[in-house]
Amino acid sequence: MVELLCTENLCRSFGGVMATNRVCFSVDNQGLTSIIGPNGAGKTTFINIVTGKIGASSGKIFFKGKEITNKPTHELVKMGICRTFQINSIFENLSVFENLRIARQAKDGGSLRIFSSKQSLKTVTEKTWDLVERLGLKDLAARPAKNLAYGDQRVLEVAIAMAGDPEILFLDEPTAGMSPTETRQISKLIKGLANEICVVLVEHDMDLVMSISDRITVLQYGCTIAEGTPEEIRNNEQVREAYLGKEE
Amino acid sequence: MNNTTTIPGIQKGYYPLKILIIILLLLGLGLFPFISGNRFYISLITEMMIYGLLAMSLDVLLGYTGALSFMHNAYLGISAYVVGLFLIHISPTSLWLACFTGIIFTSLVALPVGWVQVRTGGLAFALLTLAFGMMFHTIVWKWYGVTGGDDGLMGMPNPDISLFGWNLGNTGNPVTIYLFTLIIVTICFFLTRRIINSPFGAVLEAIRENEDRASFVGINVRMYKLLGWMLACILASIAGALFILYKGYIGPSTMSAFAGAGVLMMVLLGGLGSLWGAFVGAAMFIYIQDYISTMSEHWEIYLGLVVIFLVLFLPTGFVGLGEHLKRFRKG
Ligand SMILES: Nc1ncnc2c1ncn2[C@@H]1O[C@H](COP(=O)(O)OP(=O)(O)O)[C@@H](O)[C@H]1O
Ligand SMILES: [Mg+2]
Repeated sequence: MVELLCTENLCRSFGGVMATNRVCFSVDNQGLTSIIGPNGAGKTTFINIVTGKIGASSGKIFFKGKEITNKPTHELVKMGICRTFQINSIFENLSVFENLRIARQAKDGGSLRIFSSKQSLKTVTEKTWDLVERLGLKDLAARPAKNLAYGDQRVLEVAIAMAGDPEILFLDEPTAGMSPTETRQISKLIKGLANEICVVLVEHDMDLVMSISDRITVLQYGCTIAEGTPEEIRNNEQVREAYLGKEE
Repeated sequence: MNNTTTIPGIQKGYYPLKILIIILLLLGLGLFPFISGNRFYISLITEMMIYGLLAMSLDVLLGYTGALSFMHNAYLGISAYVVGLFLIHISPTSLWLACFTGIIFTSLVALPVGWVQVRTGGLAFALLTLAFGMMFHTIVWKWYGVTGGDDGLMGMPNPDISLFGWNLGNTGNPVTIYLFTLIIVTICFFLTRRIINSPFGAVLEAIRENEDRASFVGINVRMYKLLGWMLACILASIAGALFILYKGYIGPSTMSAFAGAGVLMMVLLGGLGSLWGAFVGAAMFIYIQDYISTMSEHWEIYLGLVVIFLVLFLPTGFVGLGEHLKRFRKG
């Protein structure tokens, strides 16, 4: 069987520094894979390459067996590869509803209709309401996104990516800056998502990673140093060193 | 809220007051030349409407796509020259064909320019508009044999405006061109409003808000930025066609960087992102220009002072005035 997404010796350097170094990564149709590693290990860079934000220096990326290396972002999104950002990236002056509606519209089409109203895209509106209710954002729907509390903006960040009905979703530190309660809330959301689609999670909270991941990949200096189940990673000597080394 | 076909923030139904104001305004403008008969004001308002249309097209670009153009007047100018040249050299009576040619030609020029510009962003985009605009200005200024150079385009015929065999009058008649401008500008305004509120307009807004995220929801940002640019240039070219029919003349100064800054000021005077604000801004600008230039040759200085005052104390323009007063009253 073909993996949903895999990379072959993916590399990217920034002025001689290998931020991503010969990474071979693969995920199946659903479940939760976490990518961990110290700060600067190249986790965000890896997501940036796979989602088309930056180019690869060398190596290949395959999605459902088709090569997608260096394809433009919007095409990758249309194929079903979505992501969130480590630092919130939302449409600040648009309402929460419009933030999600535009993502849905981009997925379903109809953006070239210039003389009809937004309401004329009925399924887009309906599906957006579904998502709004599912995420409990109903009371906030009409509010400008910039007026939301940080935690709610973080949820919106994930929601925008979900609105595009991805087959694989990269989450770059979704719990960054969140309270323990908010973290629990969003981890529940992530677990639920992983039952339906493939989720790749970058996360610093080790307890969270160990408890919800199906598989874990560990990066250090751009290289994969370990790969396996949470149990295997917990007992991996090299990983311990990498993390203990950091704590010194 | 149970109705899943409504979008929050968009109210359904009509606002009687708003419609009444629009009808009264259009009626007032439509009847003005028959009531007043003052040639000077008829011409002044015609010019206000034409520049209002140009400012509105810039508002589409800046207020809805977030792209700053320093020389949007260039596209008015190109269109005006082409319409003028067509009427002078090809057919002095084919008004519609001339306008159509002007719009198509301007679009053909704007397309590659836009193609280059959307591959840059922010300030680089803005600087390129300046570079291209100055290039067009220089071409028009120096290409004496075709454009008349410094003297401008002379010998424009006055074609009749006919529609489906009906003769609506001659463009040489100020009242006719006034009414013609009013009708065309009104149509353009309502069409643009419609486009801005369409799914397409929503894409432009998303790009303005956050280009990066827009591409990560699956929007082909460059393509839509280019379409937004083309929309703005086509509207400017319609303003250009009206301009040459109204003035019967165009010179290179209309395409100068100075005039380009003027259009930008009109938009800022009126306030970004409302469309109608651009008309208010254009009317204010042209009135100030006209009023002060009768008293002092250095009207630009006074206009500059007005703009500085506005930027400092009313950064949201005329459109934001209501909000400002509300906040002021609350203390
Ligand atoms: N745009 C960039 N230009 C130069 N260096 C970069 C850029 N992006 C990331 N890097 C470098 O690549 C390395 C990996 O960064 P990053 O992927 O953000 O790490 P992580 O997300 O794992 O904390 C770091 O050393 C960082 O400084
Ligand atoms: Mg990171």
